[in-house]
Amino acid sequence: MSTMDPAVAAMHEVAGNDATPTKTPDAGTSGSPERPAVQISPMQVPADGPAALETEVDGKPLDVSTESAEERRVRFERDAMQYVDQLYSAAMRMARNPSDAEDLVQEAYTKAFSAFHQYKPGTNLKAWLYRILTNTYINLYRKRQREPLQSNSDTIEDWQLARAESHTSSGLRSAEAEALDHLPDSDVKRALQSIPEEFRLAVYFADVEGFAYKEISDIMNTPIGTVMSRLHRGRKMLRDMLADYAAERGFRAATESGAAADSNKQENRK
Amino acid sequence: MSDCQGLGDCDDARMQRIYEYLDGALTREDIAEIKDHLDSCPECLEQYDLECVIRVMVKRSCTEAAPENLKNSILDRIHSIRTVEA
Repeated sequence: MSTMDPAVAAMHEVAGNDATPTKTPDAGTSGSPERPAVQISPMQVPADGPAALETEVDGKPLDVSTESAEERRVRFERDAMQYVDQLYSAAMRMARNPSDAEDLVQEAYTKAFSAFHQYKPGTNLKAWLYRILTNTYINLYRKRQREPLQSNSDTIEDWQLARAESHTSSGLRSAEAEALDHLPDSDVKRALQSIPEEFRLAVYFADVEGFAYKEISDIMNTPIGTVMSRLHRGRKMLRDMLADYAAERGFRAATESGAAADSNKQENRK
Repeated sequence: MSDCQGLGDCDDARMQRIYEYLDGALTREDIAEIKDHLDSCPECLEQYDLECVIRVMVKRSCTEAAPENLKNSILDRIHSIRTVEA
């Protein structure tokens, strides 16, 4: 086994089971910063709640080999249909418009149902569905899309990467966290949409769905090292993009001008 | 650039540690070590905080409900192909 289990266990110890995201306190300004433990860490959420029950039907152990088609359909509806909203959210990050996202999810579910006899009960069903969704997207939709993807890694502009690489994060202050937090959801979606696809999806799978590196590597069919570097670069791009949006909107964000921002506020009040 | 090298000797290394920490990809010992460091280093803590804020934002912004009819469409399709299975 990997080092994942003890890590997850430790996370539980640290944070308990309360997975409710909490707003991060303004930690940089107080003498003894109160860190929001790790409440927002997706990994502390136990894999999939109903996983244990997937191996049972009506309280009896499931035997896939003797299962009828009808029984399998019932089981599929019971176990797989609960993820429609989540897959739709992910599909929206892929297909870019609601109509295509719906088609994508519907197609993925149809494939998943047809292949459901290959799914091993008790393993990670959500990850299995995501892999089918991702494959469906790659095979079906991406080929079809004719508009140039600004988010194709082949077309990442050099400046974009260089910028991400040279970003000095020590310039950011908790005032910036404050500023970012005021951005509307539409800005966050726009920022995500504007980073290259494989970075975007990796970040989405990790930060929204809470998949572990290994799971993302299965879903995207790439080595774990690639997943980690995509996450690293994707998160940096996202952070830069959000900082830009905050600046555009006139939220006093960035760098050393916290003091200037405060004095501006004073000015405005007069 | 970062002054603190407690989590790595450059910004990239530091952020990588913070990502792995939040991703639950570390051993118990590593987690304790980073936690101790964050408790005593405002500079690294700021980076950690910012990352937390961004994750909460992303999660909040990207959680969408599927259209009402989608679930039914899927069920209809599944029902229509089950005869093939049987």
